[in-house]
Amino acid sequence: MASEKTMTRTIRLRVNGKEHSLEVPSRRLLVDCLRYDLGLTGTKEGCSVGVCGACTVLMDGQPISSCLALAVFADGKEIVTVEGIAREGKLDRVQQSFIDHGGFQCGSCTPGMVVTARALLDANPNPSQDEIKEWMLGNLCRCTGYYQIIESIQGAAGEASDA
Amino acid sequence: MTYTVVGKPLGQVEGPAKVTGAATFTADVILPEMIWGKVLRSPLPHARIVSIDTKAAEQMPGVLAVLTARDLPDTLTGRVVYDTPVLARDQVRFIGEKVAVVAAEDPDVAEDALALIEVEYQELPAVFDAEEAMNPDAPLLHPDYRSYPHAPEKFFSELPNVHSHVTWQVGDIQEGFAQAQQVFEYTFTTHSQHQGFIEPHASVVSVDSEGRAHLWISNKMPVRAQKLLADAVELPQEQVVVHPVCIGGDFGGKGSLMDAPLCYHLSKRTGRPVKMVMTYTEELMAGNPRHPATISLRTGVTDQGKVVAFQARVVFDSGAYAGFKPVPIVNIPGANSAAGVYGTPHVKIDAYSVYTNCVPSGHVRAPGDPQVTFAVESSMELIAEAMGIDPLEFRKRNLVQDGDLLPDGHRLEHVRIRQTLEAAIESSNWGKPKAHPHVGRGVAASYRHIGAGEANAEIRLESDGTVKVITPVPDTGTGAHTVLQQVVAETWPLPVEQVQVEARPELFETDSGAGASRVTYVVGQLVKEMTEELRASVCRVAATALECQAEEVVFEDGHYTVKGSSDRTLTLAQVAEAGSGKPELSIRKTQVNRDNPQVTTFTAQVVELEVDPETGQIKILEVVTSHDVGTIINPIGHRGQIDGGLIQGIGFGMIEEVVMEEGQVSTLHLGDYKLPNIKDIPPLKTVLVQEEIGPAPFQSKAIGESSITPIAAAIANAVYDAVGVRFYNLPITAEKVYRALRERDSNGE
Repeated sequence: MASEKTMTRTIRLRVNGKEHSLEVPSRRLLVDCLRYDLGLTGTKEGCSVGVCGACTVLMDGQPISSCLALAVFADGKEIVTVEGIAREGKLDRVQQSFIDHGGFQCGSCTPGMVVTARALLDANPNPSQDEIKEWMLGNLCRCTGYYQIIESIQGAAGEASDA
Repeated sequence: MTYTVVGKPLGQVEGPAKVTGAATFTADVILPEMIWGKVLRSPLPHARIVSIDTKAAEQMPGVLAVLTARDLPDTLTGRVVYDTPVLARDQVRFIGEKVAVVAAEDPDVAEDALALIEVEYQELPAVFDAEEAMNPDAPLLHPDYRSYPHAPEKFFSELPNVHSHVTWQVGDIQEGFAQAQQVFEYTFTTHSQHQGFIEPHASVVSVDSEGRAHLWISNKMPVRAQKLLADAVELPQEQVVVHPVCIGGDFGGKGSLMDAPLCYHLSKRTGRPVKMVMTYTEELMAGNPRHPATISLRTGVTDQGKVVAFQARVVFDSGAYAGFKPVPIVNIPGANSAAGVYGTPHVKIDAYSVYTNCVPSGHVRAPGDPQVTFAVESSMELIAEAMGIDPLEFRKRNLVQDGDLLPDGHRLEHVRIRQTLEAAIESSNWGKPKAHPHVGRGVAASYRHIGAGEANAEIRLESDGTVKVITPVPDTGTGAHTVLQQVVAETWPLPVEQVQVEARPELFETDSGAGASRVTYVVGQLVKEMTEELRASVCRVAATALECQAEEVVFEDGHYTVKGSSDRTLTLAQVAEAGSGKPELSIRKTQVNRDNPQVTTFTAQVVELEVDPETGQIKILEVVTSHDVGTIINPIGHRGQIDGGLIQGIGFGMIEEVVMEEGQVSTLHLGDYKLPNIKDIPPLKTVLVQEEIGPAPFQSKAIGESSITPIAAAIANAVYDAVGVRFYNLPITAEKVYRALRERDSNGE
C-alpha cells in the first residue's frame, strides 16, 4: 500500500539468451519487468487476469501468463519472449507460417500466439487439430476467428524448430 | 480478368514486425521521463459532485499531479456531438465516469493514490432503460443538449432524453397497411457487446517546448483525433501532431479520444510525457460497447404472402453520452436496414437514440445491423409459420430486386441476394434428414452498404525507384496497407516489393480514416487513379530522358524503352534521377465520396446446431456463410474478415454480454465477459458467389462487416427448429435455453 516503503529485490533473469541482473520492486509483474525494465515491448498486456494469453512468454520452456507472474518468481529462470523466437534475423517457421496463412490481423495477440505455438511444436511436432485447439485454448484472438491460426500452426508443423 | 498481383495471397506488409514483436502499438511507446496517468471513476450512476478532496493523494510520494474538472478548461468532447466532459464537472451520469486523474512516476503509485481521493456525492434519480428514459417523468440527463456543439438539429426530438430521432421511409406506410390482409407485430431486444479487441485503449501525449502536443493513440481516425484533441484542450489543430502506431484491433470502437485529453493536461502540468492505458476492467465498464436495442416491428402481408408494409421502431440505449457516435445523425445508421433483404414497397423506420445512466454506447462492427437483422429475420420465420408458408419460400417471394428503392434512399443495382441465399442453402444440409431429434437448421440474410467518405493520399517516385504511397489511414489489422500496395503494383504494373505504403497521419488535415468498410473503396480508388497519373508523369520524364515522344515509350520488365528499339533502357530509379525535383513525380490528392455506391453486398447464412435438452447447451454443427463478392484483391485478408466477423457474430448471438444491473457492469474482466475461444469455432463452409462487379478497385467489394450480421438470427431460427422455443432476445445462452425448455415443460406442452 501507499504508506509502506517499496520492497525491492535483486533478481537474475536469462531472457532470450541474455543474462540480466536487476533490482525490482517485489510486486513488479513479470510483464512490466520485461516491457519497461528490459524494453521488450513485444510481449503485450491485454486482459491483465491471465485469460487472453497476449502476455504469454516461455519460462524454462513452458508458456506462462507474464501478467500473473511476479518478476521475482522468474529469478534464475530462462525466459523466451516473442523477440527471442527469430534467430539471427531469420524468422522462425512458425512466424513465417503466421504471415503466409493470415494467422493474425491486428497483431496484438500475435506475440502470445507465436510463443505458445512454438512451445507446442517443440513438444509435439505434428499436432492434430484437436491438440492444437487444446494447447492454444488460453490465447484469445478477436480478429481471425482462429481458423487461419490453426492453419498457420499446421503449416509450421512437421519439422523441428530452426533453433 | 486475370491479374498479376491482385488476387494473390500476399501476407500483410506489417507481418514481419508483428510476428517478431517489433510492431509498435500505443502502449509500447516509451519516451524519456515518461510518467503514468490513472483515473478515478464514479461509483454512482447519477449524482451531483458536492466536493472532491485531493490533498492526501497530492502528498503521496511519487505523485506528480492530481487534476479535477476545476483544473481543466470547460470543454466537452465527442466524435460528432460534443457532449462528454473530459472529467465530470459537478455531475456524474454513469458508473465509471471519470472524476479525477493522477499522474505518477509509476502506474501502481498512481493507482494507489486514487484511493486517497475523497469525493462527496449527492445521488440523483437515475434511469437505466431507454424506453423508460423517454417517459415524461424520467430524469433529464442533458437538459442543455440542444446547445452542445454539433448536436444534430435536424434530428432533435420532443421526447425526453432522445438525442436523435431519425426516420427512413419508402412509399406510404398507411397505404401499405391498407393493402395488407394480415398484420403481425413482434418486439425483440438485444444486448450490449464489447468490441473485444485485445489491445485496450491507450494514449500517450508529450507537450514539447513550443507547446505542441505530440499524440500517440489507439485511434483508427488519427487525423480526426488531432482535430478532436485540439478542440478538447483548446489548442489550434496545427499544434497537435499525431504519430503513427499500429492499432490492436478496432471493430468500430477506436475512434474516440478516450484518455488523450487527460494525458495532455497532465503533460502540460508536469512537463513530462504521459501515458494512460485502460485496463480491461475499464474497457468493460467505460468503453463504448454495442448499443442495446429494442426493436418493435409491424409487418403487413397480403394473403399471397407478399410483404407490402413494414414499420420498425428501434430504440437504442445510448448510455450517458452520445459522443462515441461518429456519424452526423448521432444515431445508429444500421437501423436503416431494419426491413432486411426485402423489397417492401412501403417502409417506415424510426430510430431513437436515447440517453440513460448506463455505459455510453459506441460503434461496433456493422453498427446496428446485427440488432435489426435478428429482429427482421426472426419475424420473417414467425410470419411464415403463422401463414403456413415455408419460411424460405416466404423470403424468396419478397427479396429485393434491381431498381427497388431502399429506406436509405438507394436504388440498388446488380442485386444478388437470390443467388447468395440459394448458394447458402445448396451448400448446407437444408432439407436433408437430421441425424438427431434435437438438431435444428436456421437461415438468415442481410445486406450492407459499402461506405463512403473522404480519402487522402500522396504518391511519389522515390530516388531508389520504389513507388511510395503516403496515407493517413493507420493499420488496424485489416490489411489495408497490403491491399493498397497490391492496387498500385497491379495498376502500374510493378512487383509488389517496389511499392511501399506508409502511414503518416500528421501530414494531413482532414480524413475519414478507417471504418464503414470504406478503405478499399474510397482510398483504393483514389490511389489507383493517382497511380495512373504518376505513371503518366513518369512516362513523360522517361520520354524526355530517352529523347522521344511519351507515346513511343514502353514499360516492360521494370524498364522504360523506346518502342521498337532496345538500345537505351531506364530503370525507375534512373527515371527518378532524371526527373529529380520535378513536382509531377509527387502527387497529393483528396477525394470525397459523399454517397454509398448503388452496388452493395449481401450475405446469407445457414446454421445447423444441436440442443442438449437436459442442459440447454447449443452445439453448432456447421455454419455455411455465403457472400456475393466482386474481385478479391487479397484472399488471405478477405477470408480473415469473413472468419473473424462470423466468430464475433456467434459471440454476439450466444456467448457475449456486457451484463448491467442498474447501470453497474458485473462482467468486469475477460473471465466473466467471454470472448469466443479457439474451441468455440464451428465447422465452417464459406461460399463465395463471385462476379466481377463492384465499386472498389478492380471491381472489388467490401467484406469487413458482412459475416457478423445474420448469424445471431440464423442461430435463433435454428434453435426454434431444434426444440420449438422462440427467442425474442439475445444472447441465446445455454442458461436461457434451459430455462425456456423448463418453462415450456412445466406448462404441460
